[in-house]
Amino acid sequence: MAGRATWKGYIHFGSVDVPVKLHTAVKEERIQFNLLHRPDLIKLKQQMVCAYEKVPVPVEEQARGFELEEGKYILVDPEELEQAEPADSRMIEVHEFVKTGQIDPVFLERTYYLEPDVNVKGYNALVGALEEMDVEGICTWTMRKRSYLGSLQARGKILRLHTLRYADEVIPVKSLDLQNFSLSEKELKIGSDLINQLTVPFEPQKFANEHQKKLQKLIDQKGRGEKIAILHPRRLQPTAPDNLLQALEASLKKVA
Amino acid sequence: MARHVIWSGTVSFSLVAIPVQVVRAVESGRVSFRMLHNKDYSPLTRRMFCPKEELIVPPDEIVRGYEIGPDRYILITDEELESVSPERSLTIEIIEFIDIEEVDLIYYDHPYYLVPAKGGEKAYRLLVEVMHRTNKAGLAKFVLGEREYLVAVKSTEGGLVLITLHYSDEILPDEDIFPKEEEIAAEEQSRIKGSINKMLADFNPEQYADARREKIMAFLKKKVKEKVMVQAPEEEKAVGEGPADLIAALEESMRKVKEDR
Amino acid sequence: MSQKVIEIAGKRLPLSNLEKDLYPSYGFTKAHILEYYRRVAEFILPHLQDRALTFKRYPEGVERDFFFEKRCPSHRPAWAKTAEITRDNGERMTVCLVNDLETLMWVENLASLELHVPLARAGSPATPDSVVFDLDPGEPANMLDCARVALILRDLLIPLQLTSYVKTSGQKGLHVFVPLNRKETTFEDTKEFSKAVAEIMQKNYPDLVTAKMAKEYRKAKVFINWSQNDSSSTMICVYSLRARSKPYVSFPLAWRELENLAGQGDPEKLQVIHSEAVRRAEKQGDLFREVLVKKQQLPHL
Repeated sequence: MAGRATWKGYIHFGSVDVPVKLHTAVKEERIQFNLLHRPDLIKLKQQMVCAYEKVPVPVEEQARGFELEEGKYILVDPEELEQAEPADSRMIEVHEFVKTGQIDPVFLERTYYLEPDVNVKGYNALVGALEEMDVEGICTWTMRKRSYLGSLQARGKILRLHTLRYADEVIPVKSLDLQNFSLSEKELKIGSDLINQLTVPFEPQKFANEHQKKLQKLIDQKGRGEKIAILHPRRLQPTAPDNLLQALEASLKKVA
Repeated sequence: MARHVIWSGTVSFSLVAIPVQVVRAVESGRVSFRMLHNKDYSPLTRRMFCPKEELIVPPDEIVRGYEIGPDRYILITDEELESVSPERSLTIEIIEFIDIEEVDLIYYDHPYYLVPAKGGEKAYRLLVEVMHRTNKAGLAKFVLGEREYLVAVKSTEGGLVLITLHYSDEILPDEDIFPKEEEIAAEEQSRIKGSINKMLADFNPEQYADARREKIMAFLKKKVKEKVMVQAPEEEKAVGEGPADLIAALEESMRKVKEDR
Repeated sequence: MSQKVIEIAGKRLPLSNLEKDLYPSYGFTKAHILEYYRRVAEFILPHLQDRALTFKRYPEGVERDFFFEKRCPSHRPAWAKTAEITRDNGERMTVCLVNDLETLMWVENLASLELHVPLARAGSPATPDSVVFDLDPGEPANMLDCARVALILRDLLIPLQLTSYVKTSGQKGLHVFVPLNRKETTFEDTKEFSKAVAEIMQKNYPDLVTAKMAKEYRKAKVFINWSQNDSSSTMICVYSLRARSKPYVSFPLAWRELENLAGQGDPEKLQVIHSEAVRRAEKQGDLFREVLVKKQQLPHL
């Protein structure tokens, strides 16, 4: 079932007010390791340590600072900071609606499920409207002192909220300084054909986290005292630019 | 431009292999604070600490263990960890392509950029172009550190972005939060559609700024004006990272220079 | 505007806009510029030889827009020598090599008042010939403060068996060159060395020197820009004109001159203008010659 309800708010735009409860939508499964001190295998703790004296500093002696220039800080009192932070409100304010599919996935952070709260009819009407018009609502809200930007989407019977990154948090592709390379029409055609040949419907359930299973197997093997074979895999030979067309043609032959 | 490389290896599809590096695509814009020691305002860092011996542990004394019982661990070395899925820690092998529009937004986890390494520029450009033309993305498995990711490789603005995806069994079911009533108030839906119509636009992320960040920065600027600043003490760090004997030679020479003047 | 065709070493070169005044507040035309470079050619050419030239062109004069040009223009004469270099991003590029008088004249006809070259030659782009200490004063520090720093630097390097040579940048600062001229040298070596030196200088003369690039550290100090020791950096070539209101030159100085002048009022005394540059060079020869030939070794290698 969906994660616990972690927050309550209400969607607002125009004369529309739809109260909702936020639930996490994703749960990651991971094998957890501990970091240990080698000689006696004591579990290590993380400690805040003075960078110069290398001694741990207890919480009462810790202060928060904002670095203005190297080595110079403005002390920030936690209470003062609270005053400066935006007040929590329960409103998820929708500013505009955009056609679905416009948002580049690079902006997506997390997904929340929205459960209807009191006004179920209103919730259903909103779901229906968003679906029929095939749009997403761009909204902002403040939750636990953080300011969020997000997109409101209808999916199946419920609403989902996707948090988005701010524009200046995305590194522009331009800054990668990628250079242009001229490619022949033949290379492009064969490349496109190859991709189309290798295209299948998106079925994510096909993919299991095999690594977890293998990791568990490794742990079990070690537990039984078995020796672990260290394999050194081959590094693939990069395709030389002059051989690109050849490699594409051979690939196409293999799959077609 | 010097970029921090997170991973370097090969992206492959069928018989084509492209040497690449994985670099960051996003960075947090959140205002970050530094923890300081309130006695002398020297900055604090996180270190691994042994609670029994009460000392900070150097990296070569740290090992990774899996807990199988109270105080019982199985130790795993980096090499053993790598040996679990060796090929996938060197190669992002694209086995199939999909229509990017079929991917439910809920699957997207974290984006990175791929940049070509030396020799791979042409093949990289080809993959960018053909994925753009066909509007497809590649699906692959990829091991980084302790984890194996399902990833989508897609073309964007002339480059390749690699986005880790959640596994389908990590997506929680939503049936239990479905609305209990199915009734649709047609009039209300109509009204809502009317409101939506008045608010249609194109997505322009530049319009939105992090309100919290702005408020905090304004608050900090005000404090600067009030000149409320503290200074960390001078660090006794080694001058530069030059080899020890070079520094020694320079220091010696400097001593002479100062004597003569 | 007047045109003229000249012939050098059997090659024809059309010249244009000879009467155009490119230093309007001083009065120095294209013809004057060509004449200046013709007269210092024997001194400047060895320092331009086999180095990828970066043009800095001021077609409308020093008071108007300029542009850098790293690629050798496609309209170059057939006899202009070029080299192929690979940029950091892997791209191949054709660059101009100014190895003779006729090419120098062609370049100056394009109003490239300033000539900038890398520390390595085109044939061995990863091998710097020298370590450079680019001394840049942050106001109100000036040329005299640079001179002080340059002298301390010279003295610091002597016990390390390193002889150094100094020239004016032609603008506000000085450049100290330590020739190495060894094929094993890498930019990593020279950068590491210059950084260590800069930081020692900063540590011992904190009120005079900074090794940090950020503007806030440079006020009233001389910044030692050690990061110039890089394959992608270029420096103004010795004997090149500068695009200032007056045609000052990046000119080599004898250490004695700095000793005499440093501490005395007028920072302008260290600046050399075009006519003085020609006169002095013709009289004393190329004071920077050793930078091209002297073989030295960095201490920790």
